[in-house]
Parts: sequence; C-alpha cells; structure tokens
Amino acid sequence: MAHNIPTELKYTKDHEWAKIEGDVATIGITDFAQSALGDIVFVELPESGRTLTAHQTFGVVESIKSVSDLYSPVSGTVLEVNSSLPDAPELCNAEPYTGAWMIKVKLSNVSELNSLLSATDYQNFLSTL
Amino acid sequence: MSIQKTSLHEEHLALNAKMAPFAGFDMPLQYTSVKEEVMVVRNAAGVFDVSHMGEFFVEGDDAVSFVDFIMTNDFKNAEMLKAVYSPLCRDNGTVIDDMICYKLGEKRVLICVNASNIQKDWEWINTKVGQFKVKLTNKSDDYSLLAIQGPEAEAIIKKAGILGNQDFPYYSILETDFQGEHLIIARTGYTGEDGFEVFSSHAFAKKFWKELLATGVKPCGLASRDVLRLEVCYPLYGHELNDEVTPLDAGLGWTVKMDKAEFIGKSALAEYKPKYQLVRLSLEKGIPREGYAVLDSNNNIIGKVTSGTMSVVTGKGIAMALVEKEKNPKDKKYLINIRNQNYEATFHQKAFITGGHK
Repeated sequence: MAHNIPTELKYTKDHEWAKIEGDVATIGITDFAQSALGDIVFVELPESGRTLTAHQTFGVVESIKSVSDLYSPVSGTVLEVNSSLPDAPELCNAEPYTGAWMIKVKLSNVSELNSLLSATDYQNFLSTL
Repeated sequence: MSIQKTSLHEEHLALNAKMAPFAGFDMPLQYTSVKEEVMVVRNAAGVFDVSHMGEFFVEGDDAVSFVDFIMTNDFKNAEMLKAVYSPLCRDNGTVIDDMICYKLGEKRVLICVNASNIQKDWEWINTKVGQFKVKLTNKSDDYSLLAIQGPEAEAIIKKAGILGNQDFPYYSILETDFQGEHLIIARTGYTGEDGFEVFSSHAFAKKFWKELLATGVKPCGLASRDVLRLEVCYPLYGHELNDEVTPLDAGLGWTVKMDKAEFIGKSALAEYKPKYQLVRLSLEKGIPREGYAVLDSNNNIIGKVTSGTMSVVTGKGIAMALVEKEKNPKDKKYLINIRNQNYEATFHQKAFITGGHK
C-alpha cells in the first residue's frame, strides 16, 4: 500500500517526521506509522519546556491493542505542544502531517539534521520493511 | 515448528488483513479497523475465522461421564444438545485450559479447546481415559470454524438456509446436513453477543466465508475479538487463566461443582484457599495493559493486569486483573501504574458491558 510521504519533511527510521523551519522542528508520526498502528486512541505528550535528546522517547501513542514510544528526531527544548491532540487522538490517523503535529522543538544541535532521512530515503527504507 | 495456516488464509491476504502469528497459526488481527469490527459485532454482525481452535470428539458408552469427570462443571446433568463451559484442571486444581463441551448425543461429545493448548490438552485427556469406555479423536486439523457474531447473526444464518425455524437456544448445538455437507452448528461465541459457530469441512468454510462476505457480512479479526471478550469480561487462557492458578483464583468458582461425585482436581480444590481474586477495573484516563501493576490506595502493589485495552463501546481503558486475595482492599480503591504514574481505577462488580446474547 502506498503511503503519503511529503517531500518537504525529514524522517526517521522510527517513523517520525520533522518539519524544519529555522531552528524549530515540528514533529509527528508518519502516515506509515499511523496505518501500521491502526485506530489510535491515546496520545501522551511532554510538557512545554522539557529538554529532549535525539532518539530518546518524548511520549507515547497507543492503538486499541498496542503501545508505541515516540522518539524525538532531534535534541532541543519543547517550545509548544499540540494540547488538543490527547482529546482527539483519532487525528493521528486522519491527519498525521497536519492536525496531528505533536510538538515543536527548539533545536540545540542543528548538525543533527544531517542524519535525518529525506522523503526519498524514507520511501526507500519503507520498501525494505 | 512451521507456522500453520487456516483454510481461509488466502482470503485473509486477499482482503489485506493485518496478519500475525497466534498460537502457531498465521491469523488475521484486523481487516479495516478494530473499532469498526467491534462495533459491527455489537450492532449488526461480523464473521471470524477461528479455525485455529481445537476439536476433539469423545465417543462411546462412557462419553458423557468421561467428559463430566475431566471437567469441573456439571456435564452429566446438562440437557442433550447443550453446551457447557468449563475449566480443564490438573489433579492439583490448576488450569490446563478452558473449553466448551457440546453434548451431541449420549455417546458423542465435541470438545472445543484453545489453539495454543491443543497438544497439551490432548495428551492430558488421553492419560485420563483409564477404565472409561471412550474413543478419543483429535479432529483439529480436519475442521474449519467460522463464528458469526452479533444481533443480526440469526437472520444471516437463516437467510443462508443453514437454519430453519427449529428451537435453537443460546448455548446449544445441532448437527445438520446442508448442501451435501455435514455441519455442526453451535449457538456460542466469545463476544457476548448472540451468534453461531459453524464447524465444517475446509471446503465448506471457504465457500460459506465468500458467500457471507458477498452478502455484506463484515470480516472481523482477532484484535476485535479480544476487545469484545474483554468488554464482557470473558477470561482468556494465558491471561486470566494459566498453569499456575485454579478456577477459584480467577472468578470461575461458578464452574466448579463440588457436589459432583468425582472429577479431576476435586479433592485439591475442596481444600484450596484461593491466592488471587479476579477484579474488573476501568480508567478515566490511560489504557491499562497486561503486566501493569495494580496497587491499593496506599500504593502497595497487590497484583497485576492480566488483560487490558481501550473499550470501543465505553471509550475507557478497561482491565481484568489478578490481585492477591489477602491484599485485596476492602474499600475497593485501586490504582493502576502506567509508565511510573499511578492512575485511580474504578472497580466494577460486573462486566463493563452486557452483551446481547439470548
């Protein structure tokens, strides 16, 4: 099944996406991730101000039958949290790249961006799964 | 051991089901959405391929008394063509499996067991034959099993022509010849709704499955089946029941008939003081999962969640949990620990929802 992979975003092998604007990254989970998880019924996100380290967990998404950690693609400080998402977790399925953005992070190490996958890299990675 | 496939495996793949290994079989977890599959069974009807389940036949003069002996529940006094749910216990009272036994005749009984326990059950039951005049056959590989579940199941099965207007109450069984096939049809299931389980040849199951889907019956996977059974608090072997507990630990005292003359585990169960108590808990926020710690209101760990999910019907996290009987709080105030945080749980005296079965 073909998955939506917007070309302007960066990706991780943990199926998170990051939209980079200056030194701020907006983060969410990919269309592939939401489709693999099925009906998402619970989202737990960090508080604003929390310090994140790349590849460490920053929250949790749960489908009816499974629990999945969310891994931050970047290091930095949480600037803003999508506080409406925990009340509407189904948005993760419906709008993974828009309404279901999760956090905005002020980057502490811009060079980490080099290790993120392009849309093409991510597409190629998915085809190996 | 190689992974087994049911007769409908290709159909599941063609429907793009999410597949996963379960009890040695590659089984469909979901087809479209767990939510949709749960709701269709609660409100209309869905069909499950549960051909992985095991089928044993017990035949001979002592068929009924033998099955009565191996189960803790009462089979001897059950009416003809009735189904009886029971644990299957060891001599020490611990649970080998749970099963449904169908009284097909005075000399013929069908036992339906969990797929994961087929071999274990088969070996155990065979060691117990002794002087009983019975012949046991393991027909697990020969039968497919489709479960049609939901309030519209009766209309569906009648429309298919399999069932006429005969009296066929819940928890009973009948045998019928249909389109040259011998079918065993039970009015049982694992969803809390009215429904039918059709034991048939693989060829018939394939044909019937396609026919049901063509008439709009929705295929449902094992994920929705698990949510459905948990909403109505049916135990699942490997979770609420296991090799370490007795029926008396897991809320199944009602299935242990101490007034029966003799049965496997009777003397052990007569003396046994339960270590655990099965409790039903729900959360306003968060989803309990198997293995999460259950605490009393003083933050003492008293047990753990054996099954947990988000209830599709109530929209709340629901769980069954085994807590240590001695530590079970009288105030019925429980906490569930999720990722190092304790959440207040609501105690439920009864199942989270009442299924619609007749």
